[in-house]
Amino acid sequence: MREFAYFRAADVGQAVATVAADPEASYLAGGTTQLDLMKDGVLEPDQLVDITRLPLRGVVREGDTLRVGALTTMEELAADPTVAGRLPFVREALLLGASVQLRNMATIGGNLLQRTRCRYFRDPTVPACNKRRPGTGCAAIAGAARMHAILGASEHCIALHASDLAVPLVALDAIVRVRGADGERSIPLTDFYLLPGDTPDRENVLVHGELITAVDVPLPAEGTRSGYLKVRDRASYEFALTSAGVALLLDGGVIVEARVALGGVGTVPWRAREAEDILRGAPPGPAAFRAAAEAALRDPFTVPGTAFKVELAKRTLERALRTVSGVTS
Amino acid sequence: MTILERPRHVGPGVDRVDGPQKVTGAARYPNDFSHPDMAHAALVRATIAAGRVARLDTGAAESAPGVLAVLTHLNAPRLATGPSALLATPPPPLRDDRILYYGQYVAVVVADTPERASAAARRIEVGYEPAEPLLDIHDPRAERLPDPWGSDASWGDTRAALDDAHVVIEASYTTAENTNNPLGLFSTLAEWDGDTLTVHDSTQWPTRVRATLAQMFGVPEAGVRVLVLYVGGGFGAGLRVWPHVILTAMAARQTGRPVKLVMTRPEMFTGIGHRPATVQHIRIGATRDGRLTAIEHESRSTVAIEGDNIEPCATVSTAAYACPNVTAHDEQVRLNIPWTNSMRAPGEAQGNFVLESAIDELSHALGIDPLELRLRNYAEVHPRSGLPWSSKALRECYEVGAERFGWSRRVPEPGSMREGDWLVGYGMAGISYFWYQAPCQARATVRGDGTAYVRSAVTDIGTGTYTIMTQLAAELLGLEQDRVTFGLGDTSMPPGPQAGGSGLTAALGSAVHAACRNLVRAFLDAAAADPASPLAGCDLDDVAVTGGRVHRVGEPERGESYAGILAMRGLDELSADGDSTPRTPQEAGMAPAGPFGARFVEVRVDPELGRLSVARVVSAIDGGRILNEKLARSQIIGGTVGGIGMAMFEDTVSDPGTGRIANATLGDYLVPVNADIPDMDVSFVGGPDAFNPIGVKGVGEIGLVGMAAAIANAVFHATGKRIRSVPITIDRLLL
Repeated sequence: MREFAYFRAADVGQAVATVAADPEASYLAGGTTQLDLMKDGVLEPDQLVDITRLPLRGVVREGDTLRVGALTTMEELAADPTVAGRLPFVREALLLGASVQLRNMATIGGNLLQRTRCRYFRDPTVPACNKRRPGTGCAAIAGAARMHAILGASEHCIALHASDLAVPLVALDAIVRVRGADGERSIPLTDFYLLPGDTPDRENVLVHGELITAVDVPLPAEGTRSGYLKVRDRASYEFALTSAGVALLLDGGVIVEARVALGGVGTVPWRAREAEDILRGAPPGPAAFRAAAEAALRDPFTVPGTAFKVELAKRTLERALRTVSGVTS
Repeated sequence: MTILERPRHVGPGVDRVDGPQKVTGAARYPNDFSHPDMAHAALVRATIAAGRVARLDTGAAESAPGVLAVLTHLNAPRLATGPSALLATPPPPLRDDRILYYGQYVAVVVADTPERASAAARRIEVGYEPAEPLLDIHDPRAERLPDPWGSDASWGDTRAALDDAHVVIEASYTTAENTNNPLGLFSTLAEWDGDTLTVHDSTQWPTRVRATLAQMFGVPEAGVRVLVLYVGGGFGAGLRVWPHVILTAMAARQTGRPVKLVMTRPEMFTGIGHRPATVQHIRIGATRDGRLTAIEHESRSTVAIEGDNIEPCATVSTAAYACPNVTAHDEQVRLNIPWTNSMRAPGEAQGNFVLESAIDELSHALGIDPLELRLRNYAEVHPRSGLPWSSKALRECYEVGAERFGWSRRVPEPGSMREGDWLVGYGMAGISYFWYQAPCQARATVRGDGTAYVRSAVTDIGTGTYTIMTQLAAELLGLEQDRVTFGLGDTSMPPGPQAGGSGLTAALGSAVHAACRNLVRAFLDAAAADPASPLAGCDLDDVAVTGGRVHRVGEPERGESYAGILAMRGLDELSADGDSTPRTPQEAGMAPAGPFGARFVEVRVDPELGRLSVARVVSAIDGGRILNEKLARSQIIGGTVGGIGMAMFEDTVSDPGTGRIANATLGDYLVPVNADIPDMDVSFVGGPDAFNPIGVKGVGEIGLVGMAAAIANAVFHATGKRIRSVPITIDRLLL
């Protein structure tokens, strides 16, 4: 591992000023992704600015919004009573992610900024990775791609965004609150991530030095049902092959509101608005569910190793819609 | 001494004698040792699979902070070749500019801290002149090695019998490369003093490490000492002396400092062997009433360029069933891949998957219950030699397993059992595991305080060797277990074989048996010097040992204590050596039997999403005399978890073009987690085996075998879909 300086920030302003002033500095929160990548030589910051003592931890309800401090851990958010009562799919996504040990360390801000699991990105001896070394190509496309994206991918990058939590959060139109050298701003999570296009190294809209301070989660209408279904190769401690986060409000035999997002398939957490449009106003049932699934998976970008995920993702969404709606036929 | 017929110490589930040390962290594994003056090594690995090193720039690394030395093929000392016998040592590392596989070491960096060594290693720039690698098991350009172990067999007229059979099953199967992945990262600490070398090493075979280091560095074997008190798992990975061990000793010699190397997890995928991929083809002929008339089993497995590996898969079909016409042929294909090597149940794991899947296919084709079909073709004698087995309780395995599982509740028609959204399937497999035993020596000592010390230069790779040998020695010397210490893992002890091939317990137990008998004889001789001794004139068969005393059989009062005999003769202690060398089957007039077993598995399949889970596993095992039922059960349970891994998860994936292993971390290479593991019921059946004096058969590997077939057979029963490739993953199961 390359040697680096360590600095513990006393307050948010000092943390932001320190990182903003040093192009090679990074924030350190739970460290569950960052330290791995440093040990592997993928990230080589010259300075880590430890933010774990900053007052950015905790969950507060303000009206119909849940404000989640960026340093709240995954376990803490899953244990929040409002999350348990009003946002079951957020709780499920949290508890189906990682392991309890990791969830006790990993923070919500860090979860949203987690780096891809793509082994071609994570192995610095692989020469071709546009995300790690822009302009070098993508070794994954011709390689052993299985845990890779089929939506939002391009010939420049098929790296998956593997967060479970981000799936229900994009479905809910969560807002990311950010502090930078020039002050604060709020960014809708659906606008936060960047598709790889021909610049896979740019993963989100943050500029260097900007720090996530909180995530605002709007609570859905009373009576909304939700669920998160994760399909993976083993029963625990594994990323999704496919997943679906679904929130439905039914009234009088009709879906009046639908929020749908997919995991395990996108270069970014994948909001499926086309599926929502089909579901909204439709009677719940196999026809609507299949049509929604077809719409959500339109125009996939597949390689041989990921081709099976197209049908699997459709079935995952259908199953989630059946389970959440309670309508099986 | 017929003491094992009414044992006091062997049999029940005694706790591990090393358990407290392990759970408190007091047990010292190889990487727990250090030296105040120690330096640290880091490895640089090739990033092509075939070609040459054309350019090396080590300047930045050499001038990096803390760096003591950088060794490459340009400046490394030339070493002699290591032993080429069974499980050959790879050629000396850094001997030339050729690259034969992705991950081959091209440099080693020595620095004052491990972090500085690894940081400097990343600054070495290697330019390559690549060649086109051979990476595909089907590549026609790759060299083929027919019958590499002389294990091919053929009797009867298989082709004619297949032509005449009422029913023929024919299918091709594949098994993936798997990687051993012991949890403990392999490490080596080497310290030279002139031509004397002391090494702490993660190995299953310390005497082989000693012989190899002596031979390669050209120093006397007597001056090389290898220590390994504990190993953090091996599963076969510790059966060879790998290049990193040589490089560590080389680095220590070059720098004049003790040097420690701890491998990284990715290095553990390329540097210490892996289970080869196989492609297998089988044809089985049978009569309509389910009598096997022919088995033809062909297997191809992978082996590294300049590598060797023992992986007899087709051979499994020569020892399992009574069949008049059998042909088994194994071959290897040489590829530019990291060395293949034994991984728990080599050959058996993959060969059994194919044979026991094909038998299941036959049972469905014939409409005969899979268990009944196996019983109709039960091999009462060894199918190849015709000799009687030294022991065989496979029928009892079937009976006990089926009863405990509730096999009779199985509805034969595939897809007919269901629970909610989940399809339910029952599957089973039989196992006839091979036999293996190597020569072994041990020494036993009883001291003046009446305690005993017994030892041999073997290893305990977590299987429980320390414990069962303590029990056995206590039994044979008539001592309580807390009066006996068993020592191992030090080449200054009498030489013993590898912990491998499920053969150590029989080999070591027989040597300990001989040493303890010889020691009791030595005490009798010492006692006989006094004509007044109650033991005067006694032969071994006249005496028994209990409570630290040697006495006449049936007359506990007519004897002397060990301590008394020593005190009377003015001795501090008495020692005796024992050794064991297995007889040949011809000498013994019997076929030495390995363990037998039967596995019964219930699975659930979610057909819409392709999800598979194992709901329960029942295993019945004939392991001969079980020395410690708790530890033996742990072996079967651990093996079962490994078998579930092979069946459902484990797959070492390489990039098609480069041969780089694409999932060389424990986050990407999946092994089962607790949530994947169901209730596991284990029973032991049968009795002592007749081939060795203590009646044991090794149970270290059989626990893994049969799971792949039993799960695949249960999947077929659940779904009607036959999966002939493992691991059985969601994409293969989507219906």
